[in-house]
Amino acid sequence: MTDTRNIMKRPGGETPAPREERYRIPQVDICETEDSLILLADMPGVTEKGVDVSVDEDVLSITGHVSPPQEDSRPLYTEYEPLPFRRVFTLSQEIRRDGIEGKIANGVLRLTLPKAEEARVRKVPIKTQ
Amino acid sequence: MSLVPWKKREESRPLVGLQREMNRLFDDFFGRDFGIEPFRGPGQWLPALDVSETDKAVLVKAELPGLDAKDVEVSLVGGVLTLRGEKKEEKEEKTKSFHRVERSYGVFERAVQLPCPVKTDQVEATFKNGVLTVELPKSEEARSKTVKVKVG
Repeated sequence: MTDTRNIMKRPGGETPAPREERYRIPQVDICETEDSLILLADMPGVTEKGVDVSVDEDVLSITGHVSPPQEDSRPLYTEYEPLPFRRVFTLSQEIRRDGIEGKIANGVLRLTLPKAEEARVRKVPIKTQ
Repeated sequence: MSLVPWKKREESRPLVGLQREMNRLFDDFFGRDFGIEPFRGPGQWLPALDVSETDKAVLVKAELPGLDAKDVEVSLVGGVLTLRGEKKEEKEEKTKSFHRVERSYGVFERAVQLPCPVKTDQVEATFKNGVLTVELPKSEEARSKTVKVKVG
């Protein structure tokens, strides 16, 4: 699990990185069912078009783009910046890469990561005599 | 002073820390409360807010991922805009175990003191992709406050 927390630089500290290199880390819930892992990521403001999920060997990347603020508006009080969301996870071999499915609704990305056949729990029937 | 109760999960929520820093910054700079009181008790969460203005309106945005328009209540009383709602935990059937639980659930309430008078009958709230946007048109007197001074 790679978590790079470079969201905000302290005032008076280093110069912030250029805008396109900075991002926010979405909060996630990951739960496991019998045949898959389910990942829920909070990405408010991200539409279906703005979301990008990719798997490169063992690395699962989630990126979500948000629309920039209205041009003529001046910030008065800011608790978040409209930066892209990004988070990277390492996948184990137990996840079937070709079966990963995702959808986004109300700013929450939901990924279903199916387990490979070998990783599923098999019940062994016990015979009684 | 704005009070943000200390919580264990704070480390995993950089925005809360950021908010505290912003509050402190505003307090230091203006020497008074900036007017936004975070409010959080047990089982509550604190959605991130963004207040901005254009020449014609005040815009209040709140990040409420996983909520629907029907889960949110917006009210305006005496220049204070209040956002209220609840996010119910999405129970996954057949869940065996949780590996990570970082997202927030529960009741929230946030109140914002508006920076200027608004036309209360023309306030519009929209909910899109987990972001609530409340647009409050400024009243005529608030708009005419800006006086252009000719220098010459």
